[in-house]
Amino acid sequence: MKNNLSTMVKTDLRRMGRSRLFYILVACALLIPVVMVVMMSMMDGTVTVDPQTGAESVMEGPENAWQSIGTLPSPDGSTAPMGGMDVMAMCNINMMFMAVAVFICLFISEEFRSGYAKNLFTLRAKKASYVVSKTLMGFLCGLCLLAAYFVGALLGGAIAGLSFDLHGLNAGNLVMCMVAKAFLMLVFVAIDVLVSVAAKQKAWLCLCGSLGAGMLLFMTVSMVTPLNATVLHAGLCLAGGVLFALGLGACSKVVLNKTALV
Amino acid sequence: MNAIEIRNLSKNFGSKQAVCGLDMTVPMGAIYGFIGENGSGKSTTEKMLCGLIPKSGGSIKLCGRDHTDPEIRAKMGALIEVPGCFPSLTVWDNMMLHATNLGLKDREKAVVEMLKTVRMEGAAGNKYKNCSLGMKQRVGIAMALLGDPALLVLDEPLNGLDADGMRIMREVFVDIVKEGKRTILVSSHLLGELQKVATHYGIIRHGKMIREMTAAELDADCRTYVALQAEEKSRAKLLLGTRFSRVEEDEAGFLRIYDLVTPEEVAVFLYENGILISEIKTDKIGLEEYYVDLMKEGKRG
Repeated sequence: MKNNLSTMVKTDLRRMGRSRLFYILVACALLIPVVMVVMMSMMDGTVTVDPQTGAESVMEGPENAWQSIGTLPSPDGSTAPMGGMDVMAMCNINMMFMAVAVFICLFISEEFRSGYAKNLFTLRAKKASYVVSKTLMGFLCGLCLLAAYFVGALLGGAIAGLSFDLHGLNAGNLVMCMVAKAFLMLVFVAIDVLVSVAAKQKAWLCLCGSLGAGMLLFMTVSMVTPLNATVLHAGLCLAGGVLFALGLGACSKVVLNKTALV
Repeated sequence: MNAIEIRNLSKNFGSKQAVCGLDMTVPMGAIYGFIGENGSGKSTTEKMLCGLIPKSGGSIKLCGRDHTDPEIRAKMGALIEVPGCFPSLTVWDNMMLHATNLGLKDREKAVVEMLKTVRMEGAAGNKYKNCSLGMKQRVGIAMALLGDPALLVLDEPLNGLDADGMRIMREVFVDIVKEGKRTILVSSHLLGELQKVATHYGIIRHGKMIREMTAAELDADCRTYVALQAEEKSRAKLLLGTRFSRVEEDEAGFLRIYDLVTPEEVAVFLYENGILISEIKTDKIGLEEYYVDLMKEGKRG
């Protein structure tokens, strides 16, 4: 009978494959950019009048398909956040760092709520494999969400007939931006896993804690993973991701060892 | 070597002491009936045994090794309070998930066999949340048995089972330990059922072990009594009370005399006083009565 990390990962992969939540989140990640880009494009140029002041405002739609991934440099060199897409600034690809928190919190808290964690920990005296496996699952889910959003952004851009011009950037920057986001996902996943193992069956506490911690770091995401990212950005995100995963992973293990698991 | 050896185990929840200085010895190959009132510390002890809650003091050894040893823990199977299945998954998926976690080679075969053992093969495709209480319990037992564990810890495994289910479980328990290499620790309030299979007993009260004994010792400890049915029961009871020190009426309406006396002596005594007996026999008290008496003594003490 094997009882190591590989069996834990296999078990979690099997569970993730049967988790409705995972597929719903991936579907949402795919659909949100399509709906947002198409809807914003349709509303482009719409004039709205404030009934009290009479002031007119013109809705601005996206001009470029990559705007839902990151900030494009303006022709004058300034970098206005999301090119004036205020609504999309809230629903861009960085939102996936929050979506992954929902997945991890519900994935872990369900194990404690159902009593499945009891079966797991009776067989597993070492908690490290549990923490590593959950971190890997969160990371994998995060990658799927980022990929789904990326595909959704391309589809939305194509449907809305937006430009795919990178404004002086190259495909390498785009790849590095996505790689940096993927590595940065580890930072958020490590935080989410720690909060989830601490809150255990209290799903609401997991969610509040994870989303709250995520909000604190959310603004840094666009800064460390810009659209003009280089290898340096990716390297920094990898270092940060690994450090957070190791450090907070160790904390998660201590929490599991020192607290009641039921 | 003992399968479980607990020495001076304690667990505090804040200022409340759930387990205090508990000693327990479970020999290899035993079916150990762990008995106690609600809140006496049975489940807490079992959870500490399975590493689910940290202990406040004392030591737990499983097969001679510390209970935190990963190798020994990998050979355990447990059903603590609830079966631990995902409600939205089917019985089959839940079992396969556990088989994967155990790292079993031929998972499908092992799951099919275990479902057959607990007579749940026909319900494998049912969603766990749609199963009845008894079915859920069977799934929980099947999961605990998966992977051929050397040490099984079962907390109230017979809850919710029908008569057939209980019979099957008794057969399974006896089958598991027959080679003497596997051990079962089972706690249950169904003492009559427990007595049919247990080879050893441990009685816990207020977090302390008050008695540990083998089935043979229990048998020797259980008092014999004379039970009878008489026509004028109330008069017979009064009359017997004047001659014998302890006369009680049981739930079935029999008058019981716990003194060291033969049925013949009782029959003659009642006949001489004009009372006819319709039925008379000698019997022994069961585990349930033994336990109730012990608890009463404890409360008096």
